[in-house]
Amino acid sequence: MDTQPLPGQGIGHFAPAPTGARMANHGAAMCRVAVTAGRDVYAKPGAMVAYEGFLQYEPLSQSFRSALGEWASGERTPLMSWSGDGTLYLADYGADVLVLQLDDESLSVNGSHLLALDAGLACRVEKVKGPALLAGTGLYNVTVSGSGWIAVTSRGVPVVLDCAEAETFVDPDALVAWTTGLKVKARSTLKVGALIGRGSGEAVQLGFGGSGFVVVQPSEDTSDRLKIRG
Amino acid sequence: MTRELVKAARVRIGDLTPGTDLYIGVQISAPGLSFDISCFGLDAAERLSDDRYFVFFNQPASPEGSVRLLGAQSGDTESFRLLLDQVPEAVHKLSLTATVDGDGRMSQVSAGCVRIVAGGEEVGRYSFTGAEFSTERAVMLADVYRKGGEWRFAAVGQGFDGGLRALLENFGGEVLEDDAPQAPAPTVPAPTVPAQADPAGPARASVPAPAPAPAPAGTPAGVPAGSPVPPHAPAPAPAQQPGVKVSLVKYAEVPEQSGWVQQNPNLVRVTVTQGRDVLALHGSMVAYQGKADFAHESSGMLRRLTANLTGQQLRLMRVSGEGQVFLADEASQLHVVRLEGDALCVSADRVLAFDAGIEHEVRRIEGEGLPNGGLHTLMFGGHGTVVIKTNGTPVVLPVTPAPETHADAHALVAWTRGAQVITTAPVRIRRSAYAGHAAESYSLQFRGAPGNFIVVQPFEV
Repeated sequence: MDTQPLPGQGIGHFAPAPTGARMANHGAAMCRVAVTAGRDVYAKPGAMVAYEGFLQYEPLSQSFRSALGEWASGERTPLMSWSGDGTLYLADYGADVLVLQLDDESLSVNGSHLLALDAGLACRVEKVKGPALLAGTGLYNVTVSGSGWIAVTSRGVPVVLDCAEAETFVDPDALVAWTTGLKVKARSTLKVGALIGRGSGEAVQLGFGGSGFVVVQPSEDTSDRLKIRG
Repeated sequence: MTRELVKAARVRIGDLTPGTDLYIGVQISAPGLSFDISCFGLDAAERLSDDRYFVFFNQPASPEGSVRLLGAQSGDTESFRLLLDQVPEAVHKLSLTATVDGDGRMSQVSAGCVRIVAGGEEVGRYSFTGAEFSTERAVMLADVYRKGGEWRFAAVGQGFDGGLRALLENFGGEVLEDDAPQAPAPTVPAPTVPAQADPAGPARASVPAPAPAPAPAGTPAGVPAGSPVPPHAPAPAPAQQPGVKVSLVKYAEVPEQSGWVQQNPNLVRVTVTQGRDVLALHGSMVAYQGKADFAHESSGMLRRLTANLTGQQLRLMRVSGEGQVFLADEASQLHVVRLEGDALCVSADRVLAFDAGIEHEVRRIEGEGLPNGGLHTLMFGGHGTVVIKTNGTPVVLPVTPAPETHADAHALVAWTRGAQVITTAPVRIRRSAYAGHAAESYSLQFRGAPGNFIVVQPFEV
């Protein structure tokens, strides 16, 4: 793809720069996915902002739906499958997009933060249990494993915290993703005062310990914008 | 007692040994290969801002002698002596690296280890094999770094494409043609300081504060134009290797520092210690490490403020204990403002957090037609830190006596106390863009001596 001079002096430099990678950032908030025949990609419905080439999308196949289990059993499909040959641009209402390449690793992502993933990756869906259920982050965690690419959204520039250095406590509303294999436990800093309107605003945190890391976003606004729009 | 460390393990050096005089031995056995083993003293931004802290065969010691190359001895391919208590404050991380000298690659390594010896006894060992690597020509073996006011050891074992030159450029160093690493320097001037030498090092010079060299911008400007670039080292590009951790490296936690640190435009990290509490906006914590506690903060002034501010409540919590707390609010831009005896007025709904010890008091600007009967501000004074949040990049306008500066009361973020708010003039604006949306805006007029300023955000709350 040649970068042709675009009309307008000031805007031409936003043309996409070709990269060989399967997924790459275009700016902080957009993700560019190179889709080729036989290498499908699953993306959040409504996240497509543009595409080039011959691309088709369809709801998930029945077999993948059954793999996703409960998450896909509702009225809406949680992911769309894109196939064909072309370039797909994805974004989620200006949220920062993190493009990650898994190398035979596995990562647990909150369902509402998952933007896109390689069809070749294995997904396992778990319903969120315990105190995190109280948070507005959605009910499903997707554990993605294998080798391939995944795009995750974060409201604001995230931070990656190493749990091996010290046990890390995260507000469930700000949690984006974490490596599997961490010990997760809940910690409550809820005090009696909270019942009479004197809470600190920090009731429950999830504690992560062990060798691995968590990704935390600088916002506790967890509303799934694409879902709100319907 | 040797503690075995695996790749990616991190330990407190204090857990291994109480001493700060360490001997680090690197053993690499690879038939037919030779290695350059070096130690980079990196600053808080992980840059080699002072190349006197690049300890290698041509520069066997750092200026004050806290890092010394000792040469091959007692079975080690290379060895270093670290006097951790003498490492200057500016050096945050000592990164041990090995690069293949000549042809070869890391996968040819049959076995290797990094061992930590203190007081004549081996206390820690990180072993690796060539099977963990492929065609890399360099490897970042281990890091000794500051965290939480103490030194820690991390077994890194991260391969790196390109040779010593690429590694040096990765750390922001400059490669000069004269002492290019390819230059033969067979004589390693081993001072043969015994590992367990007396703590009073030979060169106990006063610790010079390394002048922060201007960080080289992106391109390795230090490489002379005609210098032969090694064909096997196109560019240091660790991000191209797969792996979640590699993809996320740019979001890693900023190095250890006390007090308030800006992690990124949207996140601020504060280190809370005993007796140094922090007041923060209700629910603004996103993550923490350590033992931090969050409690409702109530006091006379705050209660009054809460009562007065209908619609925009300023509810604070007190963060106490010991730990590092990350604060953020709806991904708004955060600005860490350090006050050194100045006074700053901040609009009450633009405050994210502040030191509990800083002087603060609630002020109300009254004016006809102002929302809620007045504009509530927190006035900070004395010494301490205030974190302000803005929606978008703010503008700082100087306040001058002659042409007055005006600001929309809704977009106003902060101003210095010397800038006097003299009048509030209601300005009627009809927003015809939205049908049926007629709004009033209130502009505040500022006047003051030169040197004062106001901060305005591009967003009208």
